[in-house]
Amino acid sequence: MIQLMQVTYSYPVTSRPALREITLEIPTGQFCALVGANGAGKSTLAYTIAGFIPHFYHGNLAGSVLIDGKETSQVPLSQLVQQVGLIFQNPFNQISGTKFTVREEIAFGLENLGLPRDEMEARIQATLSLVGIEDLAERYPLALSGGQMQRVAIASVLAMRPQVLVLDEPTSQLDPVGSREVFAAVRALIVEGGITVVMIEHKLEWVAVFADRVIALVDGALAADGDPQEVLTDETLVGKTIGQTRYTRAARQAQRSGYWPQDRQLPVTLEQAVDGFRESRGTPAG
Amino acid sequence: MHVRVADLTYTYPFGVQALKGVTLHIASGESVAIVGQNGAGKTTLVKHFNALLRPGSGSVWVGDWDTRQHTTARLARRVGYVFQNPDDQLFQSKVLAEVTFGPRNLGFETERVEALADMALNMVGLDHAAGQHPYDLSPGERKRVALAAVLAMDTPVIVLDEPTTGQDFIGVQRVGEIVEHLKAEGRTVLTITHDIDFCAEHFQRVIVMADGAILLDGESRQVLAQEEILAKTYVEPPQLVRLAKQLGMAGVPLTVEEFTNAHQGWLEASK
Amino acid sequence: MAQSYSLFVARESFVHRLNPLTKLTLTGLLLVSGLFLPGIWTNYLLFVGIVLPLSAAAGVTKQLVRSAWKIVLPFAISLFLIQGFLWPGGTPILYVGPLSLKSEGLQFAVVSTGRILMIVSSFLWFSLTTRPDHLMNSLSRIGFPSNLAYVIVATIQIAPRFQSRAATILDAQRARGLETEGSLRTRARALVPLVIPLVLSSLIDVEERALAVEARAFNRQGPKTFLIELPEAAWEPAARWFMVVLMVSILGLRVYLAITRWRS
Repeated sequence: MIQLMQVTYSYPVTSRPALREITLEIPTGQFCALVGANGAGKSTLAYTIAGFIPHFYHGNLAGSVLIDGKETSQVPLSQLVQQVGLIFQNPFNQISGTKFTVREEIAFGLENLGLPRDEMEARIQATLSLVGIEDLAERYPLALSGGQMQRVAIASVLAMRPQVLVLDEPTSQLDPVGSREVFAAVRALIVEGGITVVMIEHKLEWVAVFADRVIALVDGALAADGDPQEVLTDETLVGKTIGQTRYTRAARQAQRSGYWPQDRQLPVTLEQAVDGFRESRGTPAG
Repeated sequence: MHVRVADLTYTYPFGVQALKGVTLHIASGESVAIVGQNGAGKTTLVKHFNALLRPGSGSVWVGDWDTRQHTTARLARRVGYVFQNPDDQLFQSKVLAEVTFGPRNLGFETERVEALADMALNMVGLDHAAGQHPYDLSPGERKRVALAAVLAMDTPVIVLDEPTTGQDFIGVQRVGEIVEHLKAEGRTVLTITHDIDFCAEHFQRVIVMADGAILLDGESRQVLAQEEILAKTYVEPPQLVRLAKQLGMAGVPLTVEEFTNAHQGWLEASK
Repeated sequence: MAQSYSLFVARESFVHRLNPLTKLTLTGLLLVSGLFLPGIWTNYLLFVGIVLPLSAAAGVTKQLVRSAWKIVLPFAISLFLIQGFLWPGGTPILYVGPLSLKSEGLQFAVVSTGRILMIVSSFLWFSLTTRPDHLMNSLSRIGFPSNLAYVIVATIQIAPRFQSRAATILDAQRARGLETEGSLRTRARALVPLVIPLVLSSLIDVEERALAVEARAFNRQGPKTFLIELPEAAWEPAARWFMVVLMVSILGLRVYLAITRWRS
């Protein structure tokens, strides 16, 4: 489980804090989406949870960051990376560049950990099937598509058996096919249970479908934290700092003209929109 | 300025035939989105418009210029091409210098260069950053600098390669406003995009490509309703189109306003 | 885009199954022989008698001969022309207009070409039959620093990406009206807009990759293990020692010959 208490952070040589008094708790097994405008502090928060802040980026970190009860600043980074896996935007830059097959690529992290060979082979097999990329096992990693490479990166990090997986806009450089592949892979991890996922995403339609919880950051501070349908329809945020799905916008228009069912929350997914509009057909105007 | 493509084929040096006989005509002032899965040939097609690629067979005309007779630098006068990754272009130490690079290459006089740079920075909302180093800006802001750098070239045709990738909500909105502005100025605006909602809201015509050929080409309203054909190239219809279809509403709403109007009609019809 | 800068060609062969260290030592022996054994035609005999059979055993003769030819031929031609015609003094054996072809010059060209042939073909044979990551694997086991090994193999794999990015940058700047062909001045002016984005975006990539490998415990203190086991036959270690002894002997022979020649 992840606990942050009054976390404030400034990058080196800057005065303006990138994170301001963040306090939150993420229980084990939750799929938490992190949304907000560019520059709001999402990546900074992700790196803080993963321990790269303060170990890699230094700077000024105040407050408490606990992974499984231990302060991240007190644990060496090489140990933290075994507890919190981190996936980045650019699939290509996560391929080690030293392995000629996907199977060996997944082993890269395990070799660094000094694991015995049979343990490595068992974990590689398990991860290949968990992420659904068994058919890619013998392929040259750098010849894969963006979506395939990103799933290899996820498998490579997962093989290290972290309890938490943090993904920083993993689909932003992928086409719709690749995006769907990545979301499906992450969803499979949730279904298997046990792993906590924190994902930074702009594709709100997907967030609405997959996330258990949405956290919104504005200017480094926590602006909203709760159920996806609540946060992604919150009028103070949506349309100002975070986007909204067209479903929400269309329903809000209908609501303003009195055409949306009164007790119904605004929709964020296609299904919710269809249900709401169908119900409104039975509701007379105004 | 119009763009004409006649029976264009192109094969990459390593053997892949990326275009298998494409013919199309883009009229002056049209706004066209090109969609389709990766590898369909979208970028290959569009790179012929400023002679970055030369036809294997067939021809491409930008106005009265045959692209086979001109260099890319010459065609830069008519076709402004905004690449997907701004870091492939930025090299100056000041944003302003970056934005004036293009118009200076085209040989414009100083007053014109300055005026165009001001206009471009204003359009992308970066007037305040003119004196900053591009790499002191965020990646999203750098993308806007690259866009301004091409806008400042004042070309009649503009090509935007994935302009909304990696942008947040405000960034996407701003790109949309810029597209509308360019349309209002009568420029021909082309885009390659995976954001089908963005496409529906700003582009009057959609070309769907797969496997080096055109599957569909027509008004957005007609093309984006053809779910089965779009699915062949892994394109999903826009959110509102899907919603309208599931509700059994007539028509193909491309914007929230259109949906709202259609919705009222749908409610009336059910009474 | 090329898969990587590795020349490796996968085959099932006795040579391919040899341990990388054995192949490395053999390549060293070939190089030392090529550079230090006396005799005008020695290198050609070595090439035909040892390198070609080794290539045949590995099934890579075609690739080796094709690449070696491409590299060595330009050297051979310029050596024969320059040394042949411009050798100071010497014994002319052929007249071509006002110039004369000297036999000492030709002899020098023959010897030098032979050396280049041996150097190039040894390296080619090694690269064609050894996977770079397997080489680094076996070197790491005997104490080669793993960071350096990483950099070497990663460069081989990632270089094509660098190349294609350079091409994209060229396209992007040309699309902004930059002229890249023509006078020397034009080309010189085109350098800065081409080189700077390449350097800057590569630095960004390097930082991202550093983060990514950090996230895979690359900098963890402690011994690393290897997924791939590189077997070696029982006779290989002894063979390597024997080859090292041969190399030392050749060097010794060369020193001896040089001393006796100096004495006389």
